[in-house]
Amino acid sequence: MIEQTVKIVNKAGLHTRPAATIVKMAAKFKCEFYISKDGLNINAKSIIGVMTLAAEMGSELVLTFDGDDEKQASEEIIDYFKRGFDEL
Amino acid sequence: MKIDQKAISRKEFITVEFLFNNTRDKFKLKLYSDKSGFSKKITDQNLFRPGLALAGFVGLFSFARVQVFGNTEMGYLDQLSESERRKAIERVFGFDIPCIVLTDKNQPFPLLLEIANEHHVPVFGSSYDTTKLVYLISDFLDDQFAPRISIHGSFVDVYGVGILFVGKSGVGKSEVALDLIERGHRLVADDIIILTKKGEGILMGSGTNLVKHFMEIRGLGLLDIERMFGIRAIRYQKRLEIIVELEVWDDKVEYTRTGLDENFFDILNIEVPYVKLPILPGKNITVISEVISLNYLLKHYGYDAANYFQSRLNSKLKNHNEDSLRGVDYFEHDFE
Repeated sequence: MIEQTVKIVNKAGLHTRPAATIVKMAAKFKCEFYISKDGLNINAKSIIGVMTLAAEMGSELVLTFDGDDEKQASEEIIDYFKRGFDEL
Repeated sequence: MKIDQKAISRKEFITVEFLFNNTRDKFKLKLYSDKSGFSKKITDQNLFRPGLALAGFVGLFSFARVQVFGNTEMGYLDQLSESERRKAIERVFGFDIPCIVLTDKNQPFPLLLEIANEHHVPVFGSSYDTTKLVYLISDFLDDQFAPRISIHGSFVDVYGVGILFVGKSGVGKSEVALDLIERGHRLVADDIIILTKKGEGILMGSGTNLVKHFMEIRGLGLLDIERMFGIRAIRYQKRLEIIVELEVWDDKVEYTRTGLDENFFDILNIEVPYVKLPILPGKNITVISEVISLNYLLKHYGYDAANYFQSRLNSKLKNHNEDSLRGVDYFEHDFE
């Protein structure tokens, strides 16, 4: 299991489009992928879940990957967070 | 199914304003003081009667709780002289109390309001008697400070039984929920379910504020179930009674065959009946879910099919010669 904290760095926060991209990226992998914020723990393979986080700029999320391809999944997805969803 | 500790949370405080705004109509609360103390925090779900603190004993004064002034407190203050009364009230306000609630139509002394406003402590009053108001506020605070957990799944009321479908992403939870809605059952929430411990042994489930009754069906996108199917297809809250885990058929897993042994799943120290359901082509999960619900109701009303069948088998094992194999002893002349 891989667990890592990431920060939202783009101005608009985690809005619909990046949420959709994250869900699509996650769907490629077999591992379980959960995001938690303020006691809310959501399945990040579901678009409703990711949008419910309503994660604004500066907020911190804990990403959890669990499964065979967790390493590859975490690298790819965490990189997308670090790139500010390509909106920087 | 696994429970992640990160999914469990509990409110650390509510503001006095939140308490007042959410209970003023139900508890017939009236605000006597000004609103300057509305941002004060309540961190404890218990209430306190400060009778002894008013009288001078502040040794075990739980000042951080909501302070209830009933007939005892008000009666005591009433019989004091003006200067003694000021002393008693100021003694209590020397502590950082969140708010004061007067019960049983008690009116605040002007002196009490004056000191309360000075210390920015809100004062409310209600016409309910002390026992009733203490019960109401305790129940509200219990609910606010109850442990809650967020779970990924679909929560549906099937024949009045709250069934939570869990399972991996893409296994078809939302599709089963949609099918059940189409057959007249009611959606509580899809995707993110917030379960709150209510009293001992009860878990109440609801959706989140943002999502309400939206649902995602892969290939279609987001759907608004309330708009699409109408008010009868939804409900806001439901007690969790059964968890059904959907999973792709696995040869190595043993699935229940008799139903004699019930399985349970532990959520926030509450044991919830738990069924593991394999998905196979041609297997109608919707109808099976309805049957799970009906069987639960039968058990609830005292009839357990598995147990009943077992007792029939046992009696047959005892008197094996008496019954024939055929279910009907003699086909009389009615050849229909």
